[in-house]
Amino acid sequence: MTKISAKNVNVFYGSKQALFDVSLDIMDKEVTALIGPSGCGKSTFLRCLNRMNDVIDICKVEGSIKMDELELNSRKLDVVRLRENVGMVFQKPNPFPKTIYENVSYGPTIHGMAQSKSELDQIVEMSLKKAALWEEVKDRLDEIGTGLSGGQQQRLCIARAISVSPEVILMDEPCSALDPIATAQIEELIDDLKKEHTIVIVTHSMSQAARVSQKTGFFHLGKLIEFGDTEKIFKNPDNQQTQDYITGRFG
Amino acid sequence: MNEAKRKLLSKRYRAEANFKLFGQIAIGLALLFLAVFMYKIFSKGYTAFQKTWIVTEVHYDKELMLIETDNPSLEDLENADYYDIAYKAMTRLDPSLPEEDDRQLIQMVAFTYEQEVKNHLLKNPSLLGKIVPIRLTASDDLDQVHKGNYPRDIPEEDRRVNDYQLKIYDMLNERGDILSKFNLSFFTNPDSREAELAGIASSFMGTVFSILVCLAFSFPIAVLAAIYLEEFAPKNKFTDFIEVNINNLAAVPSIVFGLLGLGVLLAVFNLPRSTPLVGGITLSLMTLPTIIIAARASLKAVPPSIREAALAMGASNMQTTMHHTVPLSMPGTLSGTIIGLAQALGETAPLILIGMVAFVNTIPGTPVDPAASLPVQIYIWSESAERGFVEKVSACIMVLLGFLILMNLAAQIIRHKFERKWN
Repeated sequence: MTKISAKNVNVFYGSKQALFDVSLDIMDKEVTALIGPSGCGKSTFLRCLNRMNDVIDICKVEGSIKMDELELNSRKLDVVRLRENVGMVFQKPNPFPKTIYENVSYGPTIHGMAQSKSELDQIVEMSLKKAALWEEVKDRLDEIGTGLSGGQQQRLCIARAISVSPEVILMDEPCSALDPIATAQIEELIDDLKKEHTIVIVTHSMSQAARVSQKTGFFHLGKLIEFGDTEKIFKNPDNQQTQDYITGRFG
Repeated sequence: MNEAKRKLLSKRYRAEANFKLFGQIAIGLALLFLAVFMYKIFSKGYTAFQKTWIVTEVHYDKELMLIETDNPSLEDLENADYYDIAYKAMTRLDPSLPEEDDRQLIQMVAFTYEQEVKNHLLKNPSLLGKIVPIRLTASDDLDQVHKGNYPRDIPEEDRRVNDYQLKIYDMLNERGDILSKFNLSFFTNPDSREAELAGIASSFMGTVFSILVCLAFSFPIAVLAAIYLEEFAPKNKFTDFIEVNINNLAAVPSIVFGLLGLGVLLAVFNLPRSTPLVGGITLSLMTLPTIIIAARASLKAVPPSIREAALAMGASNMQTTMHHTVPLSMPGTLSGTIIGLAQALGETAPLILIGMVAFVNTIPGTPVDPAASLPVQIYIWSESAERGFVEKVSACIMVLLGFLILMNLAAQIIRHKFERKWN
């Protein structure tokens, strides 16, 4: 089933066009990986999905992006509601400089999801468990989140993102600042999360895309060159450019 | 390595050594100036923290005090006559002096000697009828003589202390009847025309009230302006124009703000002249741009990743700002505010224009009472011809510097303790 459907998306930063006519469908409860060389527009596309491009004044998005039946690229869209439904994990771990508990409880609190303290405690515990962080931090929830290790911080950010039970989670190179062990933990986590969430991940690591995703899109110079099943993209791509990129001949 | 390369290398090392040397010379010079400045002030001013008294005896004679009842109440003592006994307490120092020259002895103590005698008895009513020792504030000239600040070798007619008074002083000093102790009244008295009685209480309170008013006006306005400009305002020509003008405002000479206070606050709004309220508002005009600039800088220093994290969680702009950005920027904003206030603390020109230069011999209890301020007090005293005020000027500078150092210390502590290190 299609969760998000993008049609002819063009993005401009001022007079510079960053995305050209991108159309792709993201399936529900699957991991979709977006790969491509730096500056190819994959992060820009990702940020269209939760309207994070809004914070950039000169950025203009054209085209249609539908999530279920909701048009995301509409002036009338309530971005606060959208972001409640579409969580995001960033490239560099960015926990709030607050306690671990406050980091996870922030979303449920501002969206009024818990009626009582015990309910909130439950949400925090569940989110941390889902992010495979609970065992490591359960005795120090009131410590500052920025004091954790890089991998733990990123899992804390994932716990924060899933605390509001979003349908979609966007991940913008979530492992690029982490060591291989922490990366393996996050990848394992992504595998678990796709049971309940639709995941779109931007990554520089081809092997990561091959390991975690079901669908892969290859971007180059702002265009979506090829999109399809991960297995097919990596084993037998239709396009010569895709072939060259995944075999490391350019990019 | 060939010759040319070796030469180039040694030239580079020499350049670095020279640069270091110049830096050290610059710092050395700065420290030297500071040391000279501090030495001048401390060596001149420290004597102001000592006060001189003359010890004599007073006879609380009921008859001379015109008390008629046998058992006088406190009220009777309050209404009694003290002129004669106070006068006699002084003339007692030299009974051989002909009566017409009595003034010479009276001039050796502060003109409040009668009041001092009265206060002494009112504190200890049981002394009535007895002859007891009492200490009276020495006149400022005698005070200066005792502190060694008054040259004794200039001709008598050029001196404010004549030979006879010096003789009496030497006699008293030998007897141990000249007392020198900590000058509490410097801190508790308001300003006075007499140097021996003048204190900084009114100007100190005036400064405190001015700074509080200044803080109350400038902090909320400046922080709101900074938050709006940094987090909400669209970036366009108009906000650029505002930004440039805020920076210009920070560079406006303070006397211009004084004229504004005079022309608007006093003339249009009819606020009470010479009060810390007006002074504080005028100073807040000066502090405003300083705080806005500091607050904007510290808002800018909050990494965008924190804003993105909050926005991506579905926080509104307002929530992102109030829950995350503003709390994280507070240490920087607060230390900027304190530095702005410390600047305002030392301002003199605008306060002179709004009339806080008036002679105030009462201690203000509220911001709408007339008051001076510490820097203005320094200005007033430095204009006085009397020798006794010279040390007061330095002492007042010391108090002001102490105040400033405390505030800057507070700013430093806030910055170091609460500032977050971003990894």
